[in-house]
Amino acid sequence: MDHHHEQSFVSKYIFSFDHKMIGKQYFTLAMTMGFIGGILAVLIRLQLGFPSRPWPFLENLFPTGMASGIMTPEFYVSLFTMHGTIMVFFLLSLLPVSGFGNFLIPLQIGARDMAFPFLNMLSFWTVVPGAIIVIISFFVEGGAAASGWTAYPPLSGIRSAIPGSGAGQTLWLVGMMFFVASFTMGGLNFVVTILNLRTKGLRLMRMPLTTWAQFVVGILGLLSFPALAAGALLLMFDRSLGTSFFLPAGIFIGDTLMPHEGGSPLLWQHLFWFLGHPEVYIIMLPAMGFTSDILATFCRRPIFGYRSMVYAIMAIGTLSFLVWGHHMFVSGMSPFLGSLFVVTTLAIAIPSAVKAFNWLFTIVKARIQFTSASLFALGVVSLFVTGGLTGIFLGTNAVDIQLHDTYFVVGHFHFIMAGAGLFGAFAAVYYWYPKMFGRMLSERLGKIHFWITFVAYYAVFFPMHYLGHSGMMRRIYDPNVYEYLAPLQPVNLFITIAAFVLFIGQLFFLWNYFVSMRRGAPAEANPWKSAGFEWSTPPKPGHGNWEGEIPEAHRWPYEYAAPGRKRDYTPQWEA
Amino acid sequence: MADEPKASRGNLQGIAMLVAIWAIVTLSVVFGLRHGLPELASDRGYLDTLYYVILGITGVAYIAFQIALGYVIWRYRGDRPGASSSHWHESHRLELTWTLGTAVILVPIVLTGLSQWNRVRAAAPDDAITVIAVGAQFQWDFQYPGADGEFGRFDPALYAIDNQIGLDESDAAATDDWVLTNQLVLPVGRPARILMRSKDVQHAFFLPNFRVKQDLVPGMTTEVWFTPTKTGSYEIACAELCGLGHYRMRAFLEVMDEADYANWLVENAPATE
Ligand code: HEM
Ligand SMILES: [Cu+2]
Ligand SMILES: [Cu+2]
Repeated sequence: MDHHHEQSFVSKYIFSFDHKMIGKQYFTLAMTMGFIGGILAVLIRLQLGFPSRPWPFLENLFPTGMASGIMTPEFYVSLFTMHGTIMVFFLLSLLPVSGFGNFLIPLQIGARDMAFPFLNMLSFWTVVPGAIIVIISFFVEGGAAASGWTAYPPLSGIRSAIPGSGAGQTLWLVGMMFFVASFTMGGLNFVVTILNLRTKGLRLMRMPLTTWAQFVVGILGLLSFPALAAGALLLMFDRSLGTSFFLPAGIFIGDTLMPHEGGSPLLWQHLFWFLGHPEVYIIMLPAMGFTSDILATFCRRPIFGYRSMVYAIMAIGTLSFLVWGHHMFVSGMSPFLGSLFVVTTLAIAIPSAVKAFNWLFTIVKARIQFTSASLFALGVVSLFVTGGLTGIFLGTNAVDIQLHDTYFVVGHFHFIMAGAGLFGAFAAVYYWYPKMFGRMLSERLGKIHFWITFVAYYAVFFPMHYLGHSGMMRRIYDPNVYEYLAPLQPVNLFITIAAFVLFIGQLFFLWNYFVSMRRGAPAEANPWKSAGFEWSTPPKPGHGNWEGEIPEAHRWPYEYAAPGRKRDYTPQWEA
Repeated sequence: MADEPKASRGNLQGIAMLVAIWAIVTLSVVFGLRHGLPELASDRGYLDTLYYVILGITGVAYIAFQIALGYVIWRYRGDRPGASSSHWHESHRLELTWTLGTAVILVPIVLTGLSQWNRVRAAAPDDAITVIAVGAQFQWDFQYPGADGEFGRFDPALYAIDNQIGLDESDAAATDDWVLTNQLVLPVGRPARILMRSKDVQHAFFLPNFRVKQDLVPGMTTEVWFTPTKTGSYEIACAELCGLGHYRMRAFLEVMDEADYANWLVENAPATE
């Protein structure tokens, strides 16, 4: 086979079929979107830290949203809507799943490429217009979508309900359709590749946990995203064709009685969360996989409880389809159904605890090497436990009555999903960067980045639990309207300052990432002395990944510290 | 060992992780103690009890796990004297312990949670006072049934500036109904049943001091009941994103003792012929 034919610029860098290039394209896209999402977060915090204070220079950037420098409430609503949407879908689904999935799966299972390279290219070029549409929506009349990342109708279904419900919401829905199309193509590719293209000797139970996670994520994506696509399509019909899937009779907005009849707003919530909950595990599972692989490498020790880790991934994946109702305990859904969802939701705590303890016992009896990658992986363990425990409050419906839709929830999901997901992605970039660009990242900058991020992350999000149990609602533009919330302003100010620090910390990462591509120290083939299969490739693998034959897999990827061996690791590909 | 990657230097990192994690735990507890649930003014104190029980259990788990994590990171740092790592990677006994252990801790939480939930969601007692709450962008209207104890019919076609809740005046039951905007008044010690409907989008009726929260959904009537146990004036909030004015969709709940409430009714309810 000839894998090294000459390629034109366009086929190499733009419409590339190579899984590694496609992975890197996703990185670039996701990081750009993540940067934008981060700026939106800073603006949200700006308002909450300094309610309605004028910032005249911002008027130049947002002439309507910040007219005379003061943020309007409708702009605030658009900000958190788009922040959530961008972070969940365009950063933390694209980077760990589409980016790392494409980049790593073939390398970790010993394949020359994904099963469907063309579909892969198509999937990337389908999500690009989605991202562009989502960004453009800021500049249309009425501004970007303003119904939260959950887009509950009637707010999202009726144009006059809020300014962002006009063109902005339409673009949001169209953008989502592109995203879903792209993501399901990707999911299909993951599943087929992992099932069919493993190299000789790589039995399923010898796969690294990262690939196991991506496999389950592929299935979750395939099964859950179509529900969002269906919902989005029906919502578009309601908005444009006058149908009534989600809109009941008797809605009166802007002095007008709407002509709809017979729809159910709860139907949307069911469809949305049927996607939405698996989606948070689509974000979480790869981060769990990265953490396991990276911890094993830098603890110089096999991952503890490999088998139970695999079963936990499967259990979490399965249960993730059965818990969506925990977002709807007080929505008007049948209270009996609510009780069923309590049981399934708290059941997820069991495989989650298994993972946390396995990580802890991987560290026990280790010989930890502190790299930027291992520090971020240790960070995942800490954040994951913190966020997992607060989930027990929210999963218990009786307690959720008070906490639902408060900052307690915002704190909870920024730990378990955003935090663990983000830290996992950072760990993965620090770890696999040498394979991606053939160069090393600066460890010095990496450590600065880690320490700012770790400390500031807790400083931003832990106090949100206090706000929440003191009763502060989420999605509010100015809590000081309420007498009982006004005394919390110092906490909000503290969070805002910490959020600025957190944001600035990320600039170290961006600098490191882009500058090291050119100036980083050249990487060896296996700079971390890892036993994982992907490190059998040349420092910067070309098209086809291995120059000669694909090596065989002789063991699992966690063979460290084996007694009686000269070296403390035995690579998967060595006989 | 011979083939040590360069990055392994850094005793400092291990100590720093221990200090950082322990400091985070300490600070989060210290500051946590300074915040609490809003003052309780209803009979739903049992929800608070459950809240604090879960806080106790998860709090202990949080402190124990993070302290242990900080400790093992420091204890097993790579450059400690004589460092070596172990190949040990399985223990059925340990794995079974934490799997079953977690399950055992969760079972009472689930069971108590479900029984409290059933209590909250049980049908309202017969002697409950019933009020209808109508949510709209961005105000609350509270409809009292008047002397006949019956609510007049409503019809969305009748919504108007001077008929915010679309009351059908031709309905006999409607003649003595009356409406308060952004103010709800209830007597202390009597169960209150709130029926809710929305005129436009979703809202949520949130009484932070009463541990009450329930969404209002267009096209449906939702319901909640509770018993105020303290007199005073409390804030009512909207807890579901409902538009640009969501943050200011505020109202007040006035809880009066029986005598004041009776007087207030006489003074405020429209006289019926
Ligand atoms: C720079 C760090 C971040 C900061 C300071 C931040 C801050 C915030 C704040 C304050 C809110 C609440 C807004 C409100 O309810 O009014 C929020 C909402 C949200 N954030 Fe973040 N966030 C950050 C990173 C992330 C990341 C990485 C994710 C990835 C999943 C994320 C996902 C979300 C989601 C899904 C929402 C809910 C949006 C909604 O209510 O519709 N955030 N964020
Ligand atoms: Cu969920
Ligand atoms: Cu609201």
